[in-house]
Amino acid sequence: MNESKTIETIRLAGELEIGRKREMRDALALSENARAVLLDLSDVTYADSTALTELLRFCAAAQGADTPIAILIAAPQFLRLVQYAGLATAFRIFRDRGDALHYLSECAGL
Amino acid sequence: MPRRIRGPLVLTLALMALVVAGLVVAGLFVRSVVASSFRNAESVRVARILVAGVVRQQLDEETGIRGYEADRNRILLQPYYEGRVGLPRSRGRLLRVLERLRMDEALAILQDAGRTNRRWLEEVALPLLAPRPGPASLELRGKALVDRFRTDMASIEMLLARREAASDVRAQRAILLVGFFAFGAAAAVIVAALLFTIQQYRLSMRLEQEREKAEAERRRSSEIRAAFEAEKRIAETLQGAFVQNVLPEPAMLRLGATFLPAAEEGKIGGDWYDAFELPGGRVLLAIGDVAGHGIDAAVAMNATRQLVMSCALIDPRPGPVLERVNAELLRNQSPMVTAIAALVDAGMCEFAYASAGHPPAVLLEPGRDARFLEVGSLPLGVLGSAVYETHRVRSVPGALLVLYTDGAIEHSRDVVAGEELLLAAVESAAQASPTNIAAAIRRRIFDDRKPTDDVAILTLRFAERTEGRAAILKQDSQTTVAAGMRTERT
Repeated sequence: MNESKTIETIRLAGELEIGRKREMRDALALSENARAVLLDLSDVTYADSTALTELLRFCAAAQGADTPIAILIAAPQFLRLVQYAGLATAFRIFRDRGDALHYLSECAGL
Repeated sequence: MPRRIRGPLVLTLALMALVVAGLVVAGLFVRSVVASSFRNAESVRVARILVAGVVRQQLDEETGIRGYEADRNRILLQPYYEGRVGLPRSRGRLLRVLERLRMDEALAILQDAGRTNRRWLEEVALPLLAPRPGPASLELRGKALVDRFRTDMASIEMLLARREAASDVRAQRAILLVGFFAFGAAAAVIVAALLFTIQQYRLSMRLEQEREKAEAERRRSSEIRAAFEAEKRIAETLQGAFVQNVLPEPAMLRLGATFLPAAEEGKIGGDWYDAFELPGGRVLLAIGDVAGHGIDAAVAMNATRQLVMSCALIDPRPGPVLERVNAELLRNQSPMVTAIAALVDAGMCEFAYASAGHPPAVLLEPGRDARFLEVGSLPLGVLGSAVYETHRVRSVPGALLVLYTDGAIEHSRDVVAGEELLLAAVESAAQASPTNIAAAIRRRIFDDRKPTDDVAILTLRFAERTEGRAAILKQDSQTTVAAGMRTERT
């Protein structure tokens, strides 16, 4: 897996809420040598507005830095929240990890 | 009893018990020392009497011999014989007393005195009593031995005197020692009592301090609570001022709204809704939610609401409205806002809307199931390049459009379940056809429960009757241009 060296994976799980803001801030940081980011939220079932704001700001920052980003989501109720938040229109959301990695490696020109 | 008191108290009591035990032992010690001192003194007194007796009896012996030697009258030997009988008896008693007193030196001297007396008897007295008296030099010899005897007895007398004095000193020392000990014990008890009292005092001071601290804490928390209550009241007032405005009553539309503040203290959010008429019979609806809670959110909400209104006056198409608001919010570094703006044309039974990160609107048309409209783009205030698409919907008379804030579906963490409940509530409320459909929907979702977050619901119903529509209709070409148009990036 050549691409996983340059595709950085950030993983969060469970219910994301205001109490985990610091943890999210720490996790959601772009490393300098990442050419693409896979935001793995496949085990996230809920996010409150604070958590969604954090996710949004991170995705917006990645886009601002011209770093391709793919979001992996599995739970339908969380997917709805993400759709509300408009993430689906601004960023690419995947159910399948393989598809997400494929998309990212194409974007990053790997 | 609190642990803090138990330690020092036990210590003090233990110390006192120790002192009492020490005093008892010291008393016994003094008693024995004084008793032995008395016994010694008595023995010494007896010994001194015996010494005097021995000396007197020896003197009697010598006097008898001297008298007999002078005129050879045997009667004069009477004292000599009495001495011969009395002296060994007295000497024996003195020996026992000295043994009891354990005066080894005096015993040795007494033995020497005994030997001296025997030699005097053998070498001086017996030759002088013989029918042919010995040489005159015997007298000299006798004097030397008697002197030695007396010196011995004087030595014993001296030792006894010394012993008596020593015994007294020992008794005095013991009494002095016990006195010191009693003094020390009393001092120790006083010090312990003092320490205990100080400890008690410090403890009571600390308890007092703790009580005061708790009191201060209580006061402070009630002050914080008061401040909190004040902020909550201000936020509520601000919010109330914004959401409880009178809804317009445009022709061929019926608007309804409801607002339910959060049950939880401090959860007053930044929810708002708005409906105002634009020239040409159109109505602009807006609903939104500013991220965060409290006064800040309420103030940001008011600013956003004013922004929506002023941007709508420049260009009422929902997409451009949201894009302008987005740019303004980013410029002001405002908190994130989710919102839906909708431009309604009552006469044509159609509307256009744009959504920014907001839960999707519900549309219920006669003869169909209630359904969610398409969701929109990112919330406002996140990304400058965000695109807000204007969706155009051509509906039918009697259709019901429901806009709401997330409190209406996120009462549990399962949004999918929340959505289903909302759709059911909308259908049920629409069927009942109450005066205020928004309030009816809210009642069906929450009963009498207070929501955990603010809940705002805004409903719009197109008039049933198609007659008279054309008369009122003053179609503004701009509306149709706006509807369904995808806006360019700003």
